[in-house]
Formats: sequence, C-alpha cells, structure tokens
Amino acid sequence: MSDLPASRRHWLFATVAAVALLCAIGAAALYGGLFNVAADVPHSNALYWLLETARERSIAVRATGIVVPDDLADPRRIASGAGQYAEMCSHCHLAPGMKRTEISRGLYPRAPELRRGSDLTPAEAFWVVKHGIKMTGMPAWGLTHDDEILWDVVAFLRKLPDLTPEQYRSLVESAPKTHGESMEGGQMDHMDH
Amino acid sequence: MCKTVFFAAFLCGAALNSVMAHEQHRMECTETAIHAMHADIQAMEGGEAKTTAMKEIDMAEDMMAKKDMEACMTHMHKAMEAIEK
Repeated sequence: MSDLPASRRHWLFATVAAVALLCAIGAAALYGGLFNVAADVPHSNALYWLLETARERSIAVRATGIVVPDDLADPRRIASGAGQYAEMCSHCHLAPGMKRTEISRGLYPRAPELRRGSDLTPAEAFWVVKHGIKMTGMPAWGLTHDDEILWDVVAFLRKLPDLTPEQYRSLVESAPKTHGESMEGGQMDHMDH
Repeated sequence: MCKTVFFAAFLCGAALNSVMAHEQHRMECTETAIHAMHADIQAMEGGEAKTTAMKEIDMAEDMMAKKDMEACMTHMHKAMEAIEK
C-alpha cells in the first residue's frame, strides 16, 4: 500500500469509501424497512420495468431447449387443458365471460388476463406453468402435476383468446377429467405416506 | 311460503347491496383506489389504451390533490374504461 503513488492511494481510498457508503445506505434502507412490501402499493414504473424485464429474460433463457409436443392442436389436449385451466388458473387469470375476482384484483403484480392473449411461446408458457414465478403468486404446478397435464394447459392457452364465453363453457364441460379426479391418485399417495 | 319468499328477497337485497358497495368502494377517489388502478395499468400491454389509462389516472391524481373529487372520479372512470378495453 505504501509503495503506491499518492494519487493512486487517494483514488483507492475514495473508491473504498464510496463502496462502504453505498453499503451503509443499502443496509439502512433494508433494515429500516424502507421498501414497502404491501401488495396494494404498486412499484414505481422504473422498478416494475426492471422486475418485468428480469422475469421475461429469466423465462426466455430457461425455456430454451424445451421440446414442444407436436400435438398441441389436438382437441383432446385442448379440452383436457380447459378443465385444468378452469380449476387451477381461472380464479386469478380469469376466462371468457368471467368478471374480475377478488383474488385477481388483490394480486400484485396482477396475474395476466390470459383471454387477452400472451406473448409467451408454448415452451415459455410450459416453463412458467411448471416452475411458477417467485413473488407473484404463480405456483409451480410441476410439483403436483405431470408434464402431460401441463402441456394440455399450454395447448388450451393457445386457443383461449379466440374463445367466446359459450365456447369456453362448452370446452370445460367436455373436459375428459376434472382436476379433482386427476389429482385423486396423488392425494391418496400423500395420505398413504 | 311467505317466510321463504321474504328470506329469498332478503338474500337478493343483501347480495345486491354488497355488489353495489363493492363497486362504489372500487371507484372512490382515494389513494388506495388509485394505487389499484396503477397496478392494473402496469399489467397492461403497451398501446393506446395503456397510454390513455396512464394519462387519465395521472389527471385523477392531480384532481385528488386539488380536492376536486368529482373531476377525480370522472378521470378514474375514463381510466377504468381504458383498462377494460
């Protein structure tokens, strides 16, 4: 340290002091509870953009390499996905003909209304449904559902924006299995252990 | 029979009151309601509707700051219309 020229020593000292100051400000903000975690007070637009961009990039990177089944247009898959969607997703993401629910109005960030369409590719949608998204209320359905069921949901999501309320209702009614029935085995397994 | 009819009418009235109170609460010119609309707007896809909603909610906030609650409500209604487009 003493071998360094004076100008460099000053520069080094200034850098260390600046980093220490930033750390101190950060710690004060963190432990002082400066960040409001209340879900009824939205982020600033800048922070919202930052988090949204981080989320979008995270999903895009992790969905790379997922092989999309070539039968997503299969009506049986779509009907099955409709049944799953009605039971697992519609409370937050809504559906054609459905008014906003108390959950959908209280979540922050808001769950996207999927009847309005989505920018996600099928692989990205599958990744989101399977793994969920931290601190958004989106659960990781892959922990309790096999991939085939999740692909059914993705197949349905592609169709959702085109559906009228009547078509949606009819699809849900034609679903081959309700969510409760398809989960019965899992629940029994859980009780056995 | 009469009791059943009165009970049904009471239930309908209670449900209607609850819905109306809920909607009124939602559209009050308060900080909470404006925050909720901001959250809705943030979740919108970019476009004309989002721009309109942002402009209207900013105006609603201005009106609330000036204590002009009627104008605030008008802008909130317009923002809501843009959000629901």
